[in-house]
Amino acid sequence: MTKEELWEAVLAQIKFKISKANFATWFRNTEIIDKKGNAIIISVPNAFSKEWLEQKYNKFILKILHNLDREIKEVKYVISHGQPKKQETEDLSVSDIVPDQLELEEYKINKLTNINPRYTFENFVVGPFNEMAHAAATAVTKNPGRIYNPLFIYGGVGLGKTHLLQAIGNKIIEDFPEKTVRYIPAERFISGIVNSIRNHDIESFKLEYQKVDVLIIDDIQFLAGKEKTQEEFFHLFNSLYERDKQIVLSSDRPPKAIPSLEERLRSRFEGGMIADIGLPDYETRLAILKTKIKQKGTNLPEKILSFIASNIKNNIRELEGALNRLVAYQKLNNKTPTLEVAQSLLKNLIQGPKKVITAKQLIKTVAEFYDLKEKDLLAPSRKKEVVKPRQIVMYLLREELKYSYPAIGRKLGGKDHTTIIYGCEKISKELEKNESLAEELRLIRQRIVSG
Amino acid sequence: MKLSILKDELQAGLNAITRITSKSITLPILNNILIACEKNFLKLASTDLEIGIKYWILAKTEKEGAITVPAKFFANLINLIPDQKIDLEEKNNILYIETKNYKSQIKGISADDFPIIPQIKSNKILEIKAKTLSEGLSQIIDTASPSQTRPEISGISFSVSKNIVEMAATDSFRLAEKKIILPKESSIPETSVILLQKAAREIINIFGEDTKRIKIYFSPNQVMFESEMNEVKHPHIQLISRLIEGEYPNYKEIIPSSFKTQIVLSRQDFLNQIKTASLFSGKINEIKIKANPEQEIVEVYAQNPDLGQNKSRIKAKVRGQKAEVCFNHRFLTAGLSNIKTKEVIFGLNGEEDPAVLKPLDDESFIYVVMPIKSS
Repeated sequence: MTKEELWEAVLAQIKFKISKANFATWFRNTEIIDKKGNAIIISVPNAFSKEWLEQKYNKFILKILHNLDREIKEVKYVISHGQPKKQETEDLSVSDIVPDQLELEEYKINKLTNINPRYTFENFVVGPFNEMAHAAATAVTKNPGRIYNPLFIYGGVGLGKTHLLQAIGNKIIEDFPEKTVRYIPAERFISGIVNSIRNHDIESFKLEYQKVDVLIIDDIQFLAGKEKTQEEFFHLFNSLYERDKQIVLSSDRPPKAIPSLEERLRSRFEGGMIADIGLPDYETRLAILKTKIKQKGTNLPEKILSFIASNIKNNIRELEGALNRLVAYQKLNNKTPTLEVAQSLLKNLIQGPKKVITAKQLIKTVAEFYDLKEKDLLAPSRKKEVVKPRQIVMYLLREELKYSYPAIGRKLGGKDHTTIIYGCEKISKELEKNESLAEELRLIRQRIVSG
Repeated sequence: MKLSILKDELQAGLNAITRITSKSITLPILNNILIACEKNFLKLASTDLEIGIKYWILAKTEKEGAITVPAKFFANLINLIPDQKIDLEEKNNILYIETKNYKSQIKGISADDFPIIPQIKSNKILEIKAKTLSEGLSQIIDTASPSQTRPEISGISFSVSKNIVEMAATDSFRLAEKKIILPKESSIPETSVILLQKAAREIINIFGEDTKRIKIYFSPNQVMFESEMNEVKHPHIQLISRLIEGEYPNYKEIIPSSFKTQIVLSRQDFLNQIKTASLFSGKINEIKIKANPEQEIVEVYAQNPDLGQNKSRIKAKVRGQKAEVCFNHRFLTAGLSNIKTKEVIFGLNGEEDPAVLKPLDDESFIYVVMPIKSS
């Protein structure tokens, strides 16, 4: 019989002998933690339970245990540590605290790990767009260093990369307190290297990072073009990786798309798990708004929330910005904004980006993305490397700006509308089977909206 | 059980122990207090399974025994009885109360079912003046976090090192620290524990008026505060409480040691002006403090689109930079009301860094408060 079974058997018998209230009070959170020779050691949650079990029920418990296992002659009680009971009481102060009230440094960011405890998995809203990244992140926290090493998360601006990264850190700190976790934005990592080179103590800088068990670096794309930093990072990466230390990285684009990144680093980034965070769908945006508003301790009518969710599509941070604006209005004027007020308050947030997209900009963005000149796209060249981007331009003009086929033809240097129809259809067909094309389009779209 | 006792003494005992009794659904007996007759004493006891209080009174005893009765009910009854001498007797779980003009019976529950309040065996003992301790605790207790989400900061940090006792509380927006210098070095090694806020409140209530010294016994997961009787060498009151497990944040580092703007001003005037401004601050509790070193003036400003606005000024010694910082007025008044001196030092470090309130020429108390980010 295992310890658990033995104790269950004891509890089952005791249950019939004493009142429900006594049972619930004195036997809650008790368990057998050890058996030493003839003695059984029972852990109890507090001193009161210890006294009570020792003085009132000891004979009783011993008798049952002895009947179950003839060897047992003695029962000892110890007060257990480590699991302080968590009371789920209503947080009284929160409603009184203004969202802009600053917190004392110590409680905001852990100086050693650089992690803000506010970012947790609990307040991370999961939707189809980030399901994969979230699943990979949780898997990493369960077994840091063993699976998915390195974990590479990429996605556009303001979609929750940093939140996810810090949540990984927080979770690991919580579950594995003995592990050293370090979160650092790439920018700071670079300036750290630069400083230590200047002070001639690059060795101590390296040593400091060699010691960590979990290294989280945000916005790794900033490493692009910094050769010395890439070299140092390469060695650090290898030394951590060899010793099964977890590495988590984030970037605004996949490793392949980071320009001037050394090949050996790129291949290492791709060696673990790459997960992307896409754009949230309407339902998720609404869910995010509801979570945020709950955190702020106020309320806004459903109508307004769905208005925000259906109009701000590309950036969770903007979503929060819009919400903040309305909450501030509500507080200053002491009344809930109506839909009309919300529309006028959020006018520049919502209509801004829509106006900005023009055919010219779209062409420019596509050209930049494929490293071509704008005029190549407009010229009648039939080179393969130009034809595909040109067709993508056609497709996007049709899909995003709803241009007519002849209009697109005119924009692209007087092409026939049948050429355009062919081009658009070719891309939409291709999209169904070609994953990497879909990925490219997604990135281009993101660049277009983020200007 | 049978004994006679003076009403005033019984009443004092009941006042001390009944506050922690709780309406417990799982264990109704926690709503009761224990009344026991032991040798020459009447013993009263109550507990909520986190804190236990025992209280002894010298009494004329005839027969030993014990019973438990509903706490509030019994206390109310005793409060209303005008007669001085009270006879208590227990028979078949009924408590008979008899005085010159009154006769009552209260149905009780057997004392056998009352939780056993754990004893502390420890030789880590600190002696401290009850009144000093209570006053110190009362200066910081309201700063502790009311929420249980982070158990360690819901309590009071209490640490002893040589001849200094340091007590601190924080709710992550502000922090209060009180130092007590003991007349001589304590004999115990350096000790740091986290007291339950509730236990600290009871200590203030029970020992607040006590002019004698009390003993504090430390054990790994419990602490006991004990006072002795005047007449005989026997414990008078014992308060035993569990401690909060975990490590208290290292708060020393966040107390700023220098200020960009240092203001010295009259505590009472400042408090009054903040209270006036608070009327206008509305729901968000925000008031703005402006300090100008050239004019030696501090301005307190609040506005609310629904109510209007208010501006007041106060003469002050201002050194350093010009400053404009917003605060939650409740945090400022709380800090100021815990300072006893006539003049206070108000140290500012810009719009986003911690500010400090402390008494002038007194290093024993410090109150750190974070600003509100001005919008």
